[in-house]
Amino acid sequence: MTRHNHPVDREDLMSYLDGELAADQAVTTLAHLERCTECQIIVSDLRGVSRKLLAWEVEASSPRIAESITNALATRESKPGSDVNTVRRSWQDRFNLRRWSPGKWAVATISVAVVAILVVGSIPTRRMNEPLALSPSPQHSMLKAVQTKEGKEFDKLETYSKLQASPQSAKTTVATALVDPGEITGGATITGPMIVHTAALTLTTKDFNQARTRLDEILKRHHGYVGELNVTTPAGAESTFTATLRVPADQLEATLADLKALGHVESETQGGQEVTAQYVDLEARLSNARHTEERLTDLLRQRTGKLSDVLAVETEIARVRGEIEQMEAEKKNLANQVTFATITATVTENYQAQLQVVPPTTFGRLRNAAVEGYRDMVEGLVGTALFLLSYGPSLLLWGGILFFPARALWRRIRRNFAQ
Amino acid sequence: MTSDEALMLEFQRGSAEAFEELFARYREPLFGFFRRRLNSCERAEDLAQETFLAVIRATSRYEPRALVRTYLYGIALNLLAAERRKQSRNSPIESSPEPAIDAAPDEVLWVRQALEKLDASEREIIMLREYEQLSYAEIADLLRLPLNTVRSRLFRSRMALKDCLESESKPLHSSRATELANGGEEHEA
Repeated sequence: MTRHNHPVDREDLMSYLDGELAADQAVTTLAHLERCTECQIIVSDLRGVSRKLLAWEVEASSPRIAESITNALATRESKPGSDVNTVRRSWQDRFNLRRWSPGKWAVATISVAVVAILVVGSIPTRRMNEPLALSPSPQHSMLKAVQTKEGKEFDKLETYSKLQASPQSAKTTVATALVDPGEITGGATITGPMIVHTAALTLTTKDFNQARTRLDEILKRHHGYVGELNVTTPAGAESTFTATLRVPADQLEATLADLKALGHVESETQGGQEVTAQYVDLEARLSNARHTEERLTDLLRQRTGKLSDVLAVETEIARVRGEIEQMEAEKKNLANQVTFATITATVTENYQAQLQVVPPTTFGRLRNAAVEGYRDMVEGLVGTALFLLSYGPSLLLWGGILFFPARALWRRIRRNFAQ
Repeated sequence: MTSDEALMLEFQRGSAEAFEELFARYREPLFGFFRRRLNSCERAEDLAQETFLAVIRATSRYEPRALVRTYLYGIALNLLAAERRKQSRNSPIESSPEPAIDAAPDEVLWVRQALEKLDASEREIIMLREYEQLSYAEIADLLRLPLNTVRSRLFRSRMALKDCLESESKPLHSSRATELANGGEEHEA
């Protein structure tokens, strides 16, 4: 099999299925997979192997495993000094030079050398550091300035540069800012990147109904909700449900871990899209629109003029108000997307076809044939009656209209032949 | 849900409840790990127990540099290696790894036979991936192999397993085999 024309190699396909690819690579692989039959076959084979391996299940362990563990824990609790002894022993182990590996020796030598250099140069280093520690950094003063300008117009560039300058800032302030997206200028303390998290998970499970029930439990536990749910349970084939789940962003990892326990993971994809710039831009536009609305309202209140001018200002206010409401909705939506991660979970039943061992009895078959024969006869009669009733009057009418011309034509033809 | 690492640190500080939670999370996975690799159910239980006891004994030495899961399976792999060494010393003739489940269905027997045919390292990699659900990085860390080696061996073993399982299940699943053959796959008769 030559694979020179494929942008992804076969191992990448496997890594994609195992959820081991980076988001961008996963997107490339998925795009290729959608149009490449050869790769689809490889993916199908790999999935098939995983599915077959699942057949090997082991029995549950007996309760005796827990007994000695409970005893060990009880012994540990009853001897409070035991930990200390262990710690002491471990430190003795660590400082047993005869048992040290060459790596440990190398690390120890380097550490000693570094400590020696620092001790020798400690005094000048401290003097150099002192003024730096005392003077507030320009970045710090800028942050403070931004935080104290409540009620003033939101400065997009300053805030965005602040965000870029402090990517590691606490996420909690972002969350606080997102709780009430309507409050923009007053509490503009966004101090971390805003990421819209998405994840997709494809699972195979043996117990479909249990998986469905446990999905609700998982959502309840992680304070999430179902955005959309499609369940298909065709007879004689595997049941499937596809759910779009929304969970708090900080619960994404835990939720995914719980979801993975529902069955065998066939594929997993995670992605994150930074929307900080979009959010800040939206805030700035919203702030400007509010100021425009205020100015127009003042204008309407203070100035007098012709009725047409007043109407024109009111129309402009209505337009600006509409824009503000639209932007507020967009902002709320964006905030919601950041606060709640989206998980698309597809769970497919590991369906095993049931062999029909008992054939239908002869009597049953005869009875079925008799019922079908009777049904066909009745349907035939009813069909004929329906046909006559629906087309009969028209046929009679047209027959009556066409009868005399047709008879006259026929007689003329016969007469011509006779002559 | 509290992470395994947080639970381990809590246990280090003396919380027995934290360990009980860890035990509840890993009891069956660790038993399954040993059960699929050993003949005796009792030995599998003993070794699963030993793994947890080793964790209790070495609590103070635990450092949260790696995942607890990797740490546990690392201990389990060491115990398994010791057990295999012991078995080969005691009964070198009876070393055929046979009855894990006596009345196992055909599919299970095929899977086990197919896994037996793999190279030991490849078998361990695919089992750690499929049954223990470890990531490539975790497997590489545990088996001390480069990540790319893990990846390529895993792919190779999956393909070998596919051929093996298809040839074994052909009589019963001829329709599926025909379907694959039509899809351009090469099958051995």
